[in-house]
Amino acid sequence: MNESGFVQFSILTIMILLVGFYGGTYLLTLLIRKKEEDTSGFMVAGHNVGFGMGAASMTATWIWAASFYAAATSGYTYGVSGPIHYGLWGALMILFIYPFGRRFRKLAPNGHTLGELIHARHGSSSQLILAGSNILGSIISLMVNFTAAGALVSVLSPLSFQTGVLVAGVGVLSYTLTSGFRASVFTDFAQLVALMAITVVIIPAVLFAVGGPSVMVSGLENLTSEQADFFSVDAIMNQGAPFFVAVLAYAIGNQTISQRLFAVREKHIKRTFVTATLGYGAIVIGLGMIGLMALTVGVEPVNGNMNNLIPQMVSTYLPPVFVGLFFVLVIGALSSTADSDLSALSTIVMADIYGKNIAKNDPNPKTMLLVGRSTMIVATVAGLIFASFSLDILVMLVFVGALWGAIVFPVIVSCYWDRVTNAAFTWSVVIAMALFCIARFELLEMTGATVLFFEILASVGGAVVFGLMAFGFFGRAVGLGVGVVSGLILLVYATGFLRDYMVLTASLTAYGASAIVCTAMTLRSKERFDFDLIKQRVGSYDVPADKEENEPTMIPEGAH
Amino acid sequence: MSELVYGSYILVWPVLTLGVLAVICGAVIKDAVQARQSDRDMV
Repeated sequence: MNESGFVQFSILTIMILLVGFYGGTYLLTLLIRKKEEDTSGFMVAGHNVGFGMGAASMTATWIWAASFYAAATSGYTYGVSGPIHYGLWGALMILFIYPFGRRFRKLAPNGHTLGELIHARHGSSSQLILAGSNILGSIISLMVNFTAAGALVSVLSPLSFQTGVLVAGVGVLSYTLTSGFRASVFTDFAQLVALMAITVVIIPAVLFAVGGPSVMVSGLENLTSEQADFFSVDAIMNQGAPFFVAVLAYAIGNQTISQRLFAVREKHIKRTFVTATLGYGAIVIGLGMIGLMALTVGVEPVNGNMNNLIPQMVSTYLPPVFVGLFFVLVIGALSSTADSDLSALSTIVMADIYGKNIAKNDPNPKTMLLVGRSTMIVATVAGLIFASFSLDILVMLVFVGALWGAIVFPVIVSCYWDRVTNAAFTWSVVIAMALFCIARFELLEMTGATVLFFEILASVGGAVVFGLMAFGFFGRAVGLGVGVVSGLILLVYATGFLRDYMVLTASLTAYGASAIVCTAMTLRSKERFDFDLIKQRVGSYDVPADKEENEPTMIPEGAH
Repeated sequence: MSELVYGSYILVWPVLTLGVLAVICGAVIKDAVQARQSDRDMV
């Protein structure tokens, strides 16, 4: 143990764990390595990933290092319902996207990114808004995961933070670089098996080590009335509601999800995503319970840092071998997400930037693979640099979250409504972002008619969220009905109330404003889009065996 | 809150995790067998 109460591994032990993990993962990828990768395999595993691999990969990708820490923090802060309000909504992000994913796949069966679909539907400006938000999100995710590796290594060993960051970055890049998405999916399975097995063992181990359910029950008196209440308004408004609002935004804005929607065999999309929902929810809520246990037994996080809660509980109550398992758990979680981010970034740059905008739908597959691998190297270096400087990414996160919220409505309706135009898409996002900034940073005095205006926009935003969720599962009539009813309820009850939660109001404003502008501009449009064109415009970049290599690889209608 | 309810509330998650792990492993094994029989790659 060190002076902070954490188990300390020697340099040799920590290096054995790291080299064992990354070396083993690298060796696994040798099993699937091909002499010559094609672009379809590198980006979406040839659209042929099975149910088991797909579900494992989606679950492992969606669980990042922050999932455990944030769920435990939520349990510690909000008590009994805290882990649910973190894990449930995170899980629903996977569930609610699959009905839309099936539509994306139907429109673009040979697609690799959502940006390609939007490019085929609208052109470059809309596509680049989406691709830009995807890139920012993945770089932030890379940085956060490398940072988590550095923090964990520095807490549990004499090695420095920078060493941990560097080992994680080089380790992830080494096994992802050659086979891209195929390596990511294949290693996700192994990483998830380890992650789940450790979760199954570590939760009951901590519970019984602290004294079992009886000690927990007697410790409930340490909780405030809000923390002891399963239906705590505090937990709902501060933890659950902002996450609920983000359910569709995170799913639409994250290429790691859409990449799997395009990679899994079409007939397996539903059960793959339902299984991943259950897997994610069980693991994250379960580990979040360790935060609740810490609260009930009166543990104080070291240095007031909530991220110390789980390592502290494991270090305090369990033998060092469990700390080693916890170390593998976190390294596995962050690596599976980081390799997915590298694959996502390389695919966006290959397809959305090089394929669509530089090569103008006539890319050379070999150059495309080179672009993908170079992107991985550049992204890893950028992630390492940002992580090493421990940059404050809060503002960037706020903007990316808002941008994802603003694009949800235009992206989804563009796939169903043939009248939506490129201008409606673009302007709705731009105006929504401007209004979001005014509300989020309170650039105007939030009183009187001004705050009422934003509460109305936010109410519309809430209606959009509920309506789109219902639309995904039950179709247009139910979606519209749910949207209208929830909008009316929100207009009555949320006006005068939401102003106390301006962060939530600003997020909902992004949804509401983009929906209003996009709908208004679309209703004025006389354009009619033929959705069958998307299938023709989004194709494979690989050269068929019977075709000369210097012939165009894409169908020419794609050129805008 | 009774001990049984509280204990179940915490332990149901690792049990659910184990169930999902079994489903995923079963599916991957089935996929691997099919891939081998049809002489194709799993990913």
